[in-house]
Amino acid sequence: MAMYTKEELFKAISTVIDPEVGFNLVEMGLIYDASSDDEGNVKVTMTLSTKACPLHQMILQWVKEAVEKLPNVKDVDVEVVWEPEWNISMADDNVKKALGAL
Amino acid sequence: MVKISQDFAPPFKLIAPFFIVGSLFYFFSSFYLFFFDATMLSFAEPKMLAFVHLFLLGFVMMIIFGAMAQLVPVVLEVGHFGVELFYAIWPLLLIGSLLMVFGFLYSPALLPYGGVVVLISMMIFVGEIFLTMFKVEKLTLVMSSVLISNTFLFFGIIFGLLMALAYAGTLSFDINVLLKAHVYSVIGGYIVITIMGLSIVLVPMFTLSHSFSLKPLEIGMTLMSVAVVFVIISSLFNISWLAYLAYAMAFVAMISYFYLIYVIYKTRPRKENDVYALSLMFSYSAMLFVLVIGALYFLVGKESYLLAAAWLLFFGFFAFLITGHIYKIIPFLVWFEKFSPLVGKQKVPMLADMVPYKSSQAQLIYSATGVLLVTAAILLGSNLLMGAGASFLVIGSLAFVRSVFYMINFK
Repeated sequence: MAMYTKEELFKAISTVIDPEVGFNLVEMGLIYDASSDDEGNVKVTMTLSTKACPLHQMILQWVKEAVEKLPNVKDVDVEVVWEPEWNISMADDNVKKALGAL
Repeated sequence: MVKISQDFAPPFKLIAPFFIVGSLFYFFSSFYLFFFDATMLSFAEPKMLAFVHLFLLGFVMMIIFGAMAQLVPVVLEVGHFGVELFYAIWPLLLIGSLLMVFGFLYSPALLPYGGVVVLISMMIFVGEIFLTMFKVEKLTLVMSSVLISNTFLFFGIIFGLLMALAYAGTLSFDINVLLKAHVYSVIGGYIVITIMGLSIVLVPMFTLSHSFSLKPLEIGMTLMSVAVVFVIISSLFNISWLAYLAYAMAFVAMISYFYLIYVIYKTRPRKENDVYALSLMFSYSAMLFVLVIGALYFLVGKESYLLAAAWLLFFGFFAFLITGHIYKIIPFLVWFEKFSPLVGKQKVPMLADMVPYKSSQAQLIYSATGVLLVTAAILLGSNLLMGAGASFLVIGSLAFVRSVFYMINFK
C-alpha cells in the first residue's frame, strides 16, 4: 500500500520553481514519475531541460526537501534520467503558451 | 544516475572583478572612438593597435576569462583544477592590457613588459584549463572546442610577445611575418572557436532547444582550426595561396556555424524576445554582414571594407554576444549566492527579475545604433557619422556598466 499517490507527490514537488523560466518542475514536464511504499520511502524519477544545467544538484535537493515536507516520509530517492529526452511538448499548455511555443 | 559537475558556481567575489573591469573597458573602448579620424583609418597605426588591444584584452578576454570560471565545469562536467587561480588572472590581465595600450600610444618600450604580464595572466588561465581537462574522461565535441581554442591561445600569445619584443626593438625581425599568425590564433583560433563551442551549450540552454544535429558545429570547428593552422604556416613560410585557401575555409566555417545557430533559433520553444534574445539576434546578424563585407574586400580590395568587417566583428558580433550572455550569467551567479539558500524558506526572485529593463534596453538600442553608425562612418570616411556613432556607443556602454552594477548589487 502506497503512503502517497503519484498525484500527491507531484503536488508536493510542484512547489519547486525553476528560477530561469519561472515555472514549477511539474508543469515543465520534468517530473516523469513518483511513487512511495507503505514505510514512507519515496522514489522520484525526473529529468532536466539540459544536461549542462548549472543548478543540477540544487534542483535535486529542492525536490528532495519538497517531498520530505510530507508527513511520515522517511527517505527520498531522486533519480535523474536522460531518456526520454525532455522537450517542450512535455510541458503543460500554460508553459508552452507563456514561452511562445503554442 | 548520471553525475554532472558539482562545483558549478565559484564564489561570485572571484568572478565579479572580471565583469566589472570588462564592462568598464567596454566603456573606455567606446569613448576611444572619439579620437579616430574616419578619413585616415589604418590597421597599421599605433592608435588603432592600442584600440584593438584595449577592446580585445580589456573587454573581450576579460569577460570570457571570467565567464569561463563558471562555464568550464558546466561544459567539461568536472570541477576546476584550481579555481582560486582566477584571483591572479584578472589583475595581471588588467595591468598587462593597460601597459600594452599605453605602450602603443606613448612608449613602445612598455610593450614587452605589458606583453609579459599578459602572457603570465593567460598562461595561468590556459594552464588551469588544461589541468582541469585532465580530469575529463571522455571528450565531447564541445569539450574539444575548449582544448583546441586554448591551444591556439597558447601559441597566439607567444606570437604576440615576440611581436611586442620586436616592436620595442628588443628583437630584430619583420613584425608582419607574425602579424597574421597572431591575429588568427587569438581571434579565429581562440575567440571564435570558444564562441562556437560555448554557444552550442548556452544558446540551447536558454532557448530550451533540443534535437538538432551537431554536424555543422563539427564542420565549422574543423574548418576554422585548419584555417588558423594554414594561416600560421602561410605567414611563417610566406605561402600566399595557402593563406587564401585558409580565408575561404574560415568563411565556410562561419557559414556552417551560422546555419546551426539559425536551426536552433528557428526551432526554439522559448520565443520571448528579451534582451538576451535581441542581443544575440543583433550579434549574429552582424556576423553575417562581416562575411558579406569581408567577401567584398577580397573582390574590391578597399581597406575600408576590411576595417568595417573587423569593426562589425568586434563591436557587433563579439560585443553583443558577450553583453547578451552577461544578462544571463551575472543574475545566475548572484542568485546562486544570495537567494538559492532561501529557496523554500521565503519568496525569491526569478533570474529575469534581476535584469534592469530600462538600462538593458537602452544599452541594446544605443549600442546597436552606434555600431551601425560607425560602420557607415568607416565605409564613407565620415567624421560626422563617427562622432555620432561614438556618442551612441558611449551612452550604450554606460547603460551596460549601470546594468552590470545593478545586477551585481541586486538585493
